Amino acid sequence: MLPAGFQFSQSTLQDYVDCPRRFQLRYILRQAWPGVRTEPLQQHERHMDRGVQFHRLVQRHQLGIPVEQLERGLDEELAGWWRAYLGFDLLHSMLGRRYPEITLSADLSGARLLAKYDLLVVSPNQGITIFDWKTSLKPLRREFLLKRLQTHVYPYILARSGGGLLGTEISPKQITFCCWNTAAPSEPVIIQYSQEQYQQDESYLSGLLAALRAEVERGPAVWVLTADEHRCRFCEYRSLCGRGEVAGNFEEMDDFGDEIDPSVADFGLVDVEEIGF
Amino acid sequence: MARTRFIEGPAGTGKTTYAIGELRRLLDDGVRPEQILILLPQRSAGWPYEHAFTAPDWPDGAQIDLVTIGGLARRGLEIFWPLVAEKAGFAYPEAEPQFLNVETAQYYMWRFVNEAVQTGVFDSVNITPFRIMTQVLDNLSKAAINGFALDDVTERLVTAWGDRHSSRPPVYHAAQHVAERFRAYCLENNLLDFSLQIDLLVNYLLDEALYREFFQQNYRHLIADNLEEHTPVTRDVIRWAWDDLDSALLLYDTDAGYRVFLGADPGGGLELKARCDEAEAWEQPYNLPPTLGTLAHELGTLLDADRPRSFPAGENPRAGFTLEFCQFYPEMLEWAVNQVAALVQHGVPPGEIVVLAPLLGDSLRFALTTRLHERGIRTVSHRPSRAVRDEPAARAVLTLMALAHPGWNVHPPLLDVANALQQVIEELDPVRAWLLAQIVYRPGRIELGTFDAILLAAQERITYRAGEKYERLRRWLAAYQDEDAGTMPPDHFLSRLFGEVLSQPGFGFHTNLDAGRVVAELVESARRFRQTLYPRAEDVTDWIDISREYYELVQAGLLAGTYVASWQQVEQDAVFLAPAYTFLMRNRRVSYQFWLDIGSNAWWERLEQPLTHPYVLARGYPHDQMWTDEQEYFSRRDTLRRLMVGLVRRCQEHIYIGISNLSEQGFEQRGPLLQTFQQIIQRYDQLEEVP
Ligand code: SF4
Repeated sequence: MLPAGFQFSQSTLQDYVDCPRRFQLRYILRQAWPGVRTEPLQQHERHMDRGVQFHRLVQRHQLGIPVEQLERGLDEELAGWWRAYLGFDLLHSMLGRRYPEITLSADLSGARLLAKYDLLVVSPNQGITIFDWKTSLKPLRREFLLKRLQTHVYPYILARSGGGLLGTEISPKQITFCCWNTAAPSEPVIIQYSQEQYQQDESYLSGLLAALRAEVERGPAVWVLTADEHRCRFCEYRSLCGRGEVAGNFEEMDDFGDEIDPSVADFGLVDVEEIGF
Repeated sequence: MARTRFIEGPAGTGKTTYAIGELRRLLDDGVRPEQILILLPQRSAGWPYEHAFTAPDWPDGAQIDLVTIGGLARRGLEIFWPLVAEKAGFAYPEAEPQFLNVETAQYYMWRFVNEAVQTGVFDSVNITPFRIMTQVLDNLSKAAINGFALDDVTERLVTAWGDRHSSRPPVYHAAQHVAERFRAYCLENNLLDFSLQIDLLVNYLLDEALYREFFQQNYRHLIADNLEEHTPVTRDVIRWAWDDLDSALLLYDTDAGYRVFLGADPGGGLELKARCDEAEAWEQPYNLPPTLGTLAHELGTLLDADRPRSFPAGENPRAGFTLEFCQFYPEMLEWAVNQVAALVQHGVPPGEIVVLAPLLGDSLRFALTTRLHERGIRTVSHRPSRAVRDEPAARAVLTLMALAHPGWNVHPPLLDVANALQQVIEELDPVRAWLLAQIVYRPGRIELGTFDAILLAAQERITYRAGEKYERLRRWLAAYQDEDAGTMPPDHFLSRLFGEVLSQPGFGFHTNLDAGRVVAELVESARRFRQTLYPRAEDVTDWIDISREYYELVQAGLLAGTYVASWQQVEQDAVFLAPAYTFLMRNRRVSYQFWLDIGSNAWWERLEQPLTHPYVLARGYPHDQMWTDEQEYFSRRDTLRRLMVGLVRRCQEHIYIGISNLSEQGFEQRGPLLQTFQQIIQRYDQLEEVP
């Protein structure tokens, strides 16, 4: 059974598409398993930290913290990314209200779908642009992005629930998805959403959720393991599934190896121990 | 402001349900969800809201923020750190801060406490260094949430102590000195413990124009639930935000205030009523049987020093509860278990039953769990009986960690090595594991012996299959020593050992899901330790001493003291065993409650904390007033009253009350709670005798 109040996101759904067994282990059984995802661990971790820092830097900038205060103490790599970001004219010349790190949700066939956006820029009379920051090692191809669930879930949820931000009903063609990558800052991938794509996404996502539900209802049996064993090289459950001993190299990960792990960059319900005893 | 409302009433009158309805109304009126802030005293109090948000008919849109004051402070500092770091005196304002959790704060504090203990300044209070540490951290937190300087804390404690024994005031000063050293260290190293986060929020962030603008743009509507459990600083933040809000709904649970020991200020919460345009008092709890309504009233009145003693009798409460007198403690447990079993047999879902005691020690938990399991009844406890570091899987991994680092000169006992081998090699039973350990392990020798070098007869007894696994493990450890030692932080070492060997097919942790959870928790504690204490991994050239430091802190009981998270799943249909306060703070209602051992003084006593004081370190307490024995007596009565009334109001059917004449230690018991029940029984017995 899915935990009470479970909310689907692009990464949980991507997990299901990549490997049903991984979805089952992570979200149904909530099975912690301390295997190594990728090596060298420290290098990967450092890269992930960099990603978090960069996202925060941009968030701070978008909220109006003066540039001089943000630039102090940046190391060479971050400073390079930062300069590239400052040179991203499309963003900086855009008029409209900015919503950094906002989460929207919508119901689809009885399941709650969630999207955490890096930045939304709402331009009256024009529409809403989704900005997504990537800190990948390599440039990202448009065809690759089109295959990822994020590219479909983000605009779909915005089309469903972004009307409040615009102050009026939103039509899918008013939505643009812009993926900006530190590895190719002058070549952002821009995808225009459309009514047709919206309908396709809705039926694809509904089908996915229906398949997932059917799987959940089948009970406690082990779900299908991915046939693509390459994925197992970058999965912490490798030993549990009997899919090898050693983790794959971080540089061989697919282009989304840099995605921010929600447990590290959770901008949702924030809490700390109130008082320690 | 468009609308400000204050609703007060006891538990169960529907305040939170109303708030959820109000949320829907706001959304229907076109309010954007991200503009609503729900402020909670603690995270677990948010579950009714989270539940509502996932309902299929919940409106689409942005997420509504459910946040505690600690969460608000942390979130603000994560974003606006560059604005406040320099002003607040941090040594490296251009670098990001490290947020400390309880465990890592304790680690830093531990150094200063130990140094102070060595000087003998704490000799006159007979408590362990660990408890000194937690109480000093508590004083820091109390200072932050009340807005006191550290000097004020000492002054208040000294004044409250009065002219009792003269050895105590120097101890308060020593505790302050430790707190100041800790604070200075945090400022020098960009460390933010809970107290410093609150301090920065109140004294710096709230003064920043950009933060105010951010807050104004983000939050237009406020719902503060369980206001009686919030701290004074939360009230300050509400006041700070007040004029910019479009609406506010404040909910106050009369008779609650269970978090006084954590700094809650129920009296202060009530002050906000005066700011609201509308105030309502709701009296009638839903689903509370009249008998239990009377019982709550009787307990509330009898334990309240301020209320008049004479009051009209209600419906006889005797039908609402069952009292069972037992001579001995085990007899009482047996009775409770029989009653639970009978209820379940009559179709009551186990999740509708809670068994509560003032304290739930390991032995009581074990006794109840085993007896109920024997009857086929599932139980869930507020926590497991063992900390992660004491779980067999964690002990095994830690033993292997010591074996992988012979340079540490830590020599695990032979028994630990045998246990570890038995845990991780599937084919080994205790006898074979002991035999193997005896042969291959010599404390003090650099490496484990090879399987090949063992006499053939012994190899056969151990079995070749086990020998093969042992060799794989041994070779992995040897390769680590030769090639990787020093290059890996402790968490990486543990992860790799687990993933590359111990959980591989044929090893003991392969498909052992519980072991996976335990080791994951251990790895997580090592990761937190490393990321907090050595955040710049690239500057570390050798991890061996750091890994050893981690290992020693775990052995000393300072790290890996958490519990495996899966135990927190209270939603499952099982009898819940918990201390009474834990149950109250979950804010659940159930059909049946069992209260064990109400003759015990533990229902009434306060935790002995010689270095701190929950009542004196409160904003509403006069700073120049001594704490008298009379105040102590009445504060205990009041605490007991809140506890009892809160429990009764969270029961929908019946309460079973167990009394053991003799305590577990064999002493006769006549605690104040028992006496109060005797008064209630007498009163209604007499009323029934009147023709
Ligand atoms: S190891 Fe492979 S099969 Fe197993 S969960 Fe991970 S991706 Fe799926």
